[in-house]
Amino acid sequence: MHLVTAIIKAHRVEAVTEALKDAGVTGMTIADVQGFGRQRGHTEVYRGSEYNVDFLPKVRVDVLCDGGQADKITDVIADAARTGKIGDGKIWVTEVARTIRIRTGETGEDAL
Amino acid sequence: MIGLGIVVLGLWAVTWYFSTKAGAAMLGQTAPTTQATDIVNPLNTTWTLVTAFLVFFMQAGFMFLEAGFARTREVSNVMISCIADTCLCALLFWAFGFAFMFGTGNKWIGHHYFFLHGAPHTYGSTGVAFLAFFLFQYAFADTCSTVTTGAMVGRTAFGGDLIYSCAVSGFIYPILGHWVWGPDGWLATMKTPFHDFAGSTVVHSIGGFIALAGAIALGPRLGRKFKRDGGGMPPGHDMAIAAVGGVILWFGWYGFNPGSTLSAMDFEGIGRVATNTTLAASAAGLVAMFFVYPRAHKWDTGISINGFLAGLVAITCPCYWVSPFGAICIGAIAGVVVVLGVDLLEYLRIDDPIGAWPVHGLCGIWGTLSLGLFATGQFGGATSTGPDPSTSFKGLFYGGGFHQLQFQIFGSVIICASTFAIALIIMYALKAVGVLRISAEHELEGLDIVEHGAPSYHPEYAYMGYSPIPSGKSPGVAVPRGADSPTISVGE
Repeated sequence: MHLVTAIIKAHRVEAVTEALKDAGVTGMTIADVQGFGRQRGHTEVYRGSEYNVDFLPKVRVDVLCDGGQADKITDVIADAARTGKIGDGKIWVTEVARTIRIRTGETGEDAL
Repeated sequence: MIGLGIVVLGLWAVTWYFSTKAGAAMLGQTAPTTQATDIVNPLNTTWTLVTAFLVFFMQAGFMFLEAGFARTREVSNVMISCIADTCLCALLFWAFGFAFMFGTGNKWIGHHYFFLHGAPHTYGSTGVAFLAFFLFQYAFADTCSTVTTGAMVGRTAFGGDLIYSCAVSGFIYPILGHWVWGPDGWLATMKTPFHDFAGSTVVHSIGGFIALAGAIALGPRLGRKFKRDGGGMPPGHDMAIAAVGGVILWFGWYGFNPGSTLSAMDFEGIGRVATNTTLAASAAGLVAMFFVYPRAHKWDTGISINGFLAGLVAITCPCYWVSPFGAICIGAIAGVVVVLGVDLLEYLRIDDPIGAWPVHGLCGIWGTLSLGLFATGQFGGATSTGPDPSTSFKGLFYGGGFHQLQFQIFGSVIICASTFAIALIIMYALKAVGVLRISAEHELEGLDIVEHGAPSYHPEYAYMGYSPIPSGKSPGVAVPRGADSPTISVGE
């Protein structure tokens, strides 16, 4: 069991969701997040003065999947989220120790 | 016998009135004489100004309504668009808009009072202070100008916004408005005049059709899917703001419609107009609410707001000439018309995020026509000293036949078609020059960041200067004594 986590641009969420559905993914979770990478922040203007903002709004996508599916899902997300410009985000995969579906108590792959 | 008594009593009252007047004139050698206009004109001017302020407050309503129905990424843009409209409109109306619309001239355009030069003390026969009348009409022009922004939310470049706003409040609204409301406009001076009491056509249809032209020229927002393509209107981001905005507009309408008498002396008239306005809005809100309920078995807040606004727009033209029951009928039909208008735009794949055309354009037409159906024939017009029933007319349902109705249709078609044609030319010209719409990349980021430098909503912790316990590293932030201690002591 793996957890694929992606930090992507907000306006790519729709494309990523569609691509994941097409790839057979049955569930995903998204959240508004703030962060920075190599892009660092950006400059904003408020009442005539410029200032730097470190954190930029991004969307975090979490997809739980079968171990063998992780690479494929990573590629699907990367392809759908890519604009080629700085700030496209990152994807990482972590191993998951245990999963359980709350309603039925199913565990492991059955819980997906 | 009773009739005779009343006549005698009336004769006595008249005689008594003139005798005291004569007495007053005799006394006039010592006391200053007071003419009727010395009381009536200030009274009517005060009424006009108070209602002008109410109409002006509709800007706040539009800002809230449009912001609520918009997405978070363009709220700041909605705000500044309305601010820019309001400021631009005042200066343009001062320079030439008012002259085009309310200056004497010919049938097509006015050409007096440019820069308010040569203004008399009072405007025309209204007895209202000239500048009070100017302010009232400016607030109307501003309303028309702001209506147009509604259908263009979310993708219009701010530069293009400024240019077309100049065209709306400096030229389109004043010149077309002159045809109906100008002292010698051709629709007002026809043998059977076209009637529009407070502007279903002049303000709302003009604004609505410019909005429609804008929405067509712009095209839909990126990623907007329409109902027949398996999508729908993206939900507004804040229904509380949108609903309060709608109610503020309703409140402002108490200036818009009753104020259009320009006369507090017609006190029955302003009472009737205010009540008709309320009843039409209420009927329309409820009808729209119930009309869409069967679709998804949900009570739809957004369409209810558009519903009562549709009733308000519809009653704006006939409010003076119809009965309260007529107003309810007019509002009820508007509640259906607005929903069908929204459906039509959805079918035609035209993206109007606020519903500016269904509410203002389409229900403006319905309101204008409804006068030809529901005019009771009891009421003529408001003058500075009271009602003037001599110019009354009847609608179809009150035995007046199709006479007034056909002129209402004629006026509405002329104004809507002219507006739409001119607006399409302007919008497509701006599009050809490339200033109408922002780039796709910028649109995805959102107008607020791209055009105005910062988002409207942001997590405060991501910004400098927000830290409950200052680190002491940021320059300019005073570190309170003991702030570096790990615990915060209370009551020190």
